Amino acid sequence: MADRPHGDESWPAQLLRLGFGKSFWGFAALAVVSGLVCLAVAGPEAFAEVVEDNLHMLASTVPRIIAAMGVAGFIWVMLPRDKLTRLVGQESGWRGLVIATGAGIVTPGGPAAAFSLLAVLGGAGADRGALIAYITSWAMLGLQRVLVWDVPFMGAEFSMTRLLISLPLPIVAGLIARSLPLNLRLADEDELQKRPS
Amino acid sequence: MNFGILILYGLLGILALAALSRMDGTFHRGLRRAVEQLAVLAPRMVCALTAAGFIARLIPSELIGQYLGSEAGLKAVLLATAVGLIIPAGPVIAFAIAAIFARSGASTAALIAFITSWSLFAAHRVFIYEIPLLGASFLRLRVVSVAVTPVLAGLMALAWAGLVGGK
Repeated sequence: MADRPHGDESWPAQLLRLGFGKSFWGFAALAVVSGLVCLAVAGPEAFAEVVEDNLHMLASTVPRIIAAMGVAGFIWVMLPRDKLTRLVGQESGWRGLVIATGAGIVTPGGPAAAFSLLAVLGGAGADRGALIAYITSWAMLGLQRVLVWDVPFMGAEFSMTRLLISLPLPIVAGLIARSLPLNLRLADEDELQKRPS
Repeated sequence: MNFGILILYGLLGILALAALSRMDGTFHRGLRRAVEQLAVLAPRMVCALTAAGFIARLIPSELIGQYLGSEAGLKAVLLATAVGLIIPAGPVIAFAIAAIFARSGASTAALIAFITSWSLFAAHRVFIYEIPLLGASFLRLRVVSVAVTPVLAGLMALAWAGLVGGK
């Protein structure tokens, strides 16, 4: 949400502008170019295969993203921000990083759910170490992904090895994030100040 | 329909009821925020998923897998990390590629580095979700924080393989 909503614009017009901003056209161009390269390099049969796979992928992703955005939207308006800040806020120390890592492991759903929850946590004042630990843990250790993808494709033994090795790494990432002298300004902060809800 | 999406819709139902029961416009505000975020994500997502499918098809997985054997040690871990960076696609494609690597003789350490690297940096996720929802400064903080993580995971796997004598 790089470009801010204009005050006098109607809501549907705002939605359209949000949806089809500059970066959308970048994605659209990437899709067209990669499609043409695939057609030229891999041939029309492979191209048709990929198109079919893509359609399946879209059909299964759209219902997920609708549900995930709904969940995130309701959590956003109902979250008890003060309690959360105590749990994973600036002063939460090691405990905050461990809680964030545990939360990442059990968060169900794909990136739509995890990243919108992350935005909610950030807006609610979670500490940067906890934010990094949470999303790193979800990415590397998310149980749903492990059970649905890792075990069937790679085998249980490989998955267990990978999980045990990876278990401490989100906490390490969180500690690194806390020690970095980088400014952090979340995308939602402007909106939050404008529309305290 | 699988288990994960059922949980997600169950959760949505519970939250919607909880919001409605407050009778103070909470439901309306939650719905509004959800629709706004959906408007940002949905059009970009359609394009990014399409591009990801094409790009994944163009990556020569079997050839790369041959360079990821256990005799290559640390080099295999570094190469696997680099390849993980450039897979701009979800788990279906990433794990299919990992399985091809495994069949072509990749070591456990290299596979762990690949999966870790992909899971942390998958480009489609960064562009579709992270930048619009969190912003560029969060991305910068995160990338620096987890830059060494895949190599660390691979090295720990190498050490583990040395201990138990696996491949």
